[in-house]
Amino acid sequence: MSYGSGVGWMGEMVCVPGGTFPMGSPPWVLAWLERESQPFPGEWFGDETPQRTRTVRPYRIDRYPVTVDEFAEFVRDTGYRTGAERAGRGMVYGSGYWEERAGACWHSPAGEGRAEGYGDHPVVHVSFEDAQSYATWAGKRLPTEAEWEFAARGPVFRLWPWGDDWRRENANTAEYHAGRLHSPGEWRRWWESVRSRSGPLPQTTAVGAFGPEGDSYFGCSDMAGNVYEWNSTVAHLYDEEVECDATLRMVVGRYRVIRGGSWMNFRYQVRCSERMYGDPDGWSNFATGFRCAVDA
Amino acid sequence: MVTIVLSSAWAQGGQTRFEVGEGLLNEVLKEFAVSQPAYRHRLLDGDGEPLGYFNVYLGDEFVPRGHRADAPVRPGTTVTIVPPLAGG
Repeated sequence: MSYGSGVGWMGEMVCVPGGTFPMGSPPWVLAWLERESQPFPGEWFGDETPQRTRTVRPYRIDRYPVTVDEFAEFVRDTGYRTGAERAGRGMVYGSGYWEERAGACWHSPAGEGRAEGYGDHPVVHVSFEDAQSYATWAGKRLPTEAEWEFAARGPVFRLWPWGDDWRRENANTAEYHAGRLHSPGEWRRWWESVRSRSGPLPQTTAVGAFGPEGDSYFGCSDMAGNVYEWNSTVAHLYDEEVECDATLRMVVGRYRVIRGGSWMNFRYQVRCSERMYGDPDGWSNFATGFRCAVDA
Repeated sequence: MVTIVLSSAWAQGGQTRFEVGEGLLNEVLKEFAVSQPAYRHRLLDGDGEPLGYFNVYLGDEFVPRGHRADAPVRPGTTVTIVPPLAGG
């Protein structure tokens, strides 16, 4: 184990008592999203609804996402090679869109040689299989989607881990780096300025850097932003009849749930009930990581 | 004709469904990108060939990356294009 920026033990876990809670977003959230200055139609968020009652048994969950240093220890111990290393390429956001970049992987996130100073940042370029392999080695597992959401918001609904009022300084999002963003065009201008200065380096931050103000109801850090986090749950809709994007229906039963948003996102994508889905067949990118859980 | 379905996150002006001619899958994707240049950078690489990392479904059937060049898309088929990171 090692320390990360003095924020505490990496690998530290938080005890979460079991509980029953209404998972997902209440109707007012979609109405609010439609009123907000954000680029997506209300239907885009339909997969967060309707709320469904879920019960989770007591469990422990990592206080922080798994770091580069922790992943390095796993690799040293096992000789493991990630999917991106085996493929010889990883996905980064280029000048106009996502691109596969030669050599990009967990220790070289921009594909331009080993990155220094990232040891206490969340590891990225990890596929679902990579995350599961690490968790098994660590004697843990990936959290289910219900466990992840409960750990992020607690028994009572809240938009972000700290509450319902957006606080830019509480989470590593694109808005933390760039200020208020309203459109994909504004985001691209920000990213292009970053990329032109330093290449496609992930704008991750040391785990726990936004605590305690940005921590969740149960004391977990980085549950809004920093990195997208793999969950073990297979993609599904809360209700088959819900109105949602046609492409999301294609990932049902195929992709795995991803939660928490990342440093790439606006405030709306890092909400506790926001759902994303990742291709579990070897795909990874420079903004996706994970944290682990165990039964209590 | 076949129907191309895109995610709302990609859509320009709210349109997510498009009609294009049938043919081999990669050719269908290229024809679509030519007819709708706003999506070219999402679908084609610098050489004008379809990017391999997004997933493509013909109806409900997944077409693996290595099989797209010779996969026939028959009239009436719905072609759904899904990024590896979906939703949000």
